Amino acid sequence: MNKNIMRRVRLIFVLVIMIFILLAGRLAHLQVVKHDYYWYRAEQNRFTKITLPATRGEVYDARGKLLVSNRPGFVVSLMDMGEGYDDETISYLSDILKIDKEEIYEAIEGRRYMRYLPLPLKSDITMETISQISEHLWKLKGVNIEIRPIREYKRNKTAAHILGFLGQAPVDESTRELWAAEDYHYEEGELVGQEGIERSWEPALRGVDGEQRIEINSMGQPINFFERKEPVPGHNLHLTLDLDLQKAAEKALAAQVKNIVKKEGSKYAGRASAVVLDPGSGAILALANYPSYNPNRIGKEYEKLTLDPKRPLTNSAIQGTYPIGSTFKMVTGTAALETGAISDRDIFSCRGVLTTHGDTKACYRRAAHGGVNLYRGIAVSCNIYFYQVGLRAGIDAIAKYAREYGFGSPTGLEDLRGEAAGVVASREYKSSVTDGEPWYPAETMSAAIGQSYNSQTPLQVAHYVAMIANGGIHYRPYLVQKVVDNKGEVVQETKPEVLRRAKISAKTLGTMREAMRGVTRPGGTGYSVFHNFPVTTAGKTGSAEVAAMGRGLPSHSLYVGYAPYEKPQIVVAVIIEYGGSGYAAAAPVVAEIMKYYFTGQRKGVSDSEGETGSQAG
Amino acid sequence: MKAKLDRRLVRNFDFVLLLTVIALQAVGSLTLYSATHSLEGFSDPFHFVRRQLFFAAVGFVLMMVIALIDYINFKNWAIYLYIFNLLLLGLILVVGEAEKGAMRRIQLGIFELQPSEIAKLIMIVVLARMLSEKEGKLPYFQDLLPVLAATALPMGLIFLQPDLGTSLVFLAVLLGMLYVAGARGRHLAALVGGGLATAPLFWFFLLKPYQKNRLLVFINPEMDPINEGFQLLQSMIGIGSGGLLGKGLLNSTQVRLGYLPEHYTDMIFSVFGEEMGYVGAVALLLLYFLLIYRILRISTRAKDQFGVLLCCGVAVMFTFQVLVNIGMTISIMPVTGIPLPFMSYGNNALLVNLAAIGLVLNVAMRRHKIQF
Repeated sequence: MNKNIMRRVRLIFVLVIMIFILLAGRLAHLQVVKHDYYWYRAEQNRFTKITLPATRGEVYDARGKLLVSNRPGFVVSLMDMGEGYDDETISYLSDILKIDKEEIYEAIEGRRYMRYLPLPLKSDITMETISQISEHLWKLKGVNIEIRPIREYKRNKTAAHILGFLGQAPVDESTRELWAAEDYHYEEGELVGQEGIERSWEPALRGVDGEQRIEINSMGQPINFFERKEPVPGHNLHLTLDLDLQKAAEKALAAQVKNIVKKEGSKYAGRASAVVLDPGSGAILALANYPSYNPNRIGKEYEKLTLDPKRPLTNSAIQGTYPIGSTFKMVTGTAALETGAISDRDIFSCRGVLTTHGDTKACYRRAAHGGVNLYRGIAVSCNIYFYQVGLRAGIDAIAKYAREYGFGSPTGLEDLRGEAAGVVASREYKSSVTDGEPWYPAETMSAAIGQSYNSQTPLQVAHYVAMIANGGIHYRPYLVQKVVDNKGEVVQETKPEVLRRAKISAKTLGTMREAMRGVTRPGGTGYSVFHNFPVTTAGKTGSAEVAAMGRGLPSHSLYVGYAPYEKPQIVVAVIIEYGGSGYAAAAPVVAEIMKYYFTGQRKGVSDSEGETGSQAG
Repeated sequence: MKAKLDRRLVRNFDFVLLLTVIALQAVGSLTLYSATHSLEGFSDPFHFVRRQLFFAAVGFVLMMVIALIDYINFKNWAIYLYIFNLLLLGLILVVGEAEKGAMRRIQLGIFELQPSEIAKLIMIVVLARMLSEKEGKLPYFQDLLPVLAATALPMGLIFLQPDLGTSLVFLAVLLGMLYVAGARGRHLAALVGGGLATAPLFWFFLLKPYQKNRLLVFINPEMDPINEGFQLLQSMIGIGSGGLLGKGLLNSTQVRLGYLPEHYTDMIFSVFGEEMGYVGAVALLLLYFLLIYRILRISTRAKDQFGVLLCCGVAVMFTFQVLVNIGMTISIMPVTGIPLPFMSYGNNALLVNLAAIGLVLNVAMRRHKIQF
């Protein structure tokens, strides 16, 4: 045989050897080196997890009335029944659900290998639409109607700022960490509480989702079912909130704001807040803002709400900081007494106008109060008395006692997020915001009557008077009384928490209470509102001037009071933005709330369940 | 005289090659059973295996018949075989025009004739004859031209079907046989170079979009994991997840859950790799290696150049099909529809492969020039 040919055959054989080494080498790479990776990929092919959502916990008021619950919602989904998607069905669904046809096709396009699992098209469909679809179900292919829980706020707008709402907006890193500490690991796009209790109590409310591991084939059809982890329902929350009182507060606020808007127009007016605290524990019994929103409709109205100049989404009761005007005067009085600058009986004269330190300042409406001591100073809210007392005490003492009463830092409410700290007028604060400008005595005079840099939240105002009423104890304000699991076991119960005791003598606090009592007595600024009242009350009016470019801006109207005077049960603080004088606008609202609380006119407010009615759609 | 001749034929019979083929056929049938026993739409788990075994039996008879006819006869019949081949390929194109899309088969009772498979073997015989007449001397490029022309005709018809895979097998067999027949290295290089130079022409004018897509996906299988890349990716997942020892016979999850299209035809090696692991895959490679080694060994002992070229053609055909088929399941070759000899389900391929082995056995039995 030809030698040359033999050589060539041998070379072919060498090539064959090389080819087999190449194949064996590549196989070694896939099957030995990268085996773990491909094993994982194969398992990924095989198994999928179906989340079994946990039922979200319900929320009740202090007397067991249901505030937040879940109701069945209808979800329409579409799947391939094995003969491809049906164009007619898609046209029909697009029509009745008002979804773009393109959108549906786009959604199913991405599901080529999962097309035998239902693809949700639209959730929370109205009964009407459902019955329409049901009638046509016989000719529709692959249409499923499933029931899924929808969060339901039973009282619509009532307590919206406390309850909050759910949404898919992303959650910041710190909140994630907070939740992770409670064993809930948030993932982008999950439906979670965005505001209020829903947000702050997310991990407790949401429960723990269950899981079902299933083996699926390449078309997504389930083949085998494996281990199932049952979902653990979320805990129910029982709030300190009294629904009826809350409604009374909201109703009174709304009525008064509408009243003022009617008289003065809505250029400035139109917002108001009220806080009702138990001074003996820090429990929040009511917390209301006007205007509010309906969390049931948040999905449709969110954008509109964010653009509303009256900011219905803002919980001003804890987030809004205002100059609080004359309601601040107990701070100045406390500072003057505690530093020994004056005694409660020292008399200062008021001629309606005071010229000192190169400035002329007047009493409210230039009223001349004559000889004024502390009691009368508070009762008639004499500015000139407090200018002089403030100057005696000095700005540093005023600022110190303002902080003693909890101003300048959050009160410690943890059940709602975003509580504002407010500002205490002081040398340091002015220096920090003005690049080191010195403090002037004229500013001390302003600060003494709650103006200048002073700004506080309505909650802080209520909390400060609660400290006066309870003898100087700083309780942490709270909203959640107890947490109950789905078996009815109490998981957690809130005990009143003393954060601190004010370094203010019992005598001074007693003097303040007595002085505030004078406000509702004959001659006091609150007398017109609180005479013939079913319980003895103490309080303080405030008409805070709003710093603005132009003059003629109405003042914020404030009133803060507590009752009964002898044994305080509630503190009520109300602020009505641009509402005018304290006694005219805010005081009647406080009176309304107190009257409701003490006379038990609870029948007056409708108490039927299921007030949400048929708002779906 | 006749008895003497028979004894010589028996003595020279390559039992190792026969046993290797039987072993491959057995492994192939087991794997085929695993891949098809629970196929949707077929209540009989042995549906495919039974058919394949039936044609294997027919094939073994065919193999023995071909082995017993002195292969010199095939040399003489080459021209008729070639014409028969062209007629078949032409016929399928004409019939195919009527149907829409690809047409590769002609139904003959229970048998679906696939002319392109048969064309491979006929081409080996034709090339072996043409080249053996050159006596190992192809000094000029012109010497290659008749051979190229003879190959281009059936190859073109197959390419038009379109059957890219089989056309490529033609190309490989042509190059291999030319080389063994003594073609100059630079002439072959020029051929390959010329082929590559016309590649853009193919890309823009001749390849169908799905063929282009397959090539792109070969470069990056994750590019299109849902459509074209799916098959390749799932094949690699199957093989890779098999690991060293495999998941065991009948335990391929990729097949059971329907992740592997063409799992009993072109992609059958993926099933084998997943179930038998690296150890099994290497054992199978060794069987193929033994097969090709025996064929090449027979070629070196053949009594004439026709026999040498016949065996080399068959060896190159098997080698190329093993390389491209297994290569595509592990992503070192683009996806082309080339079946794995003795493993992929396909009656034509099985018959043709066994017939090819028959030819090789034939050459082995008649290896001595002179018998005293």
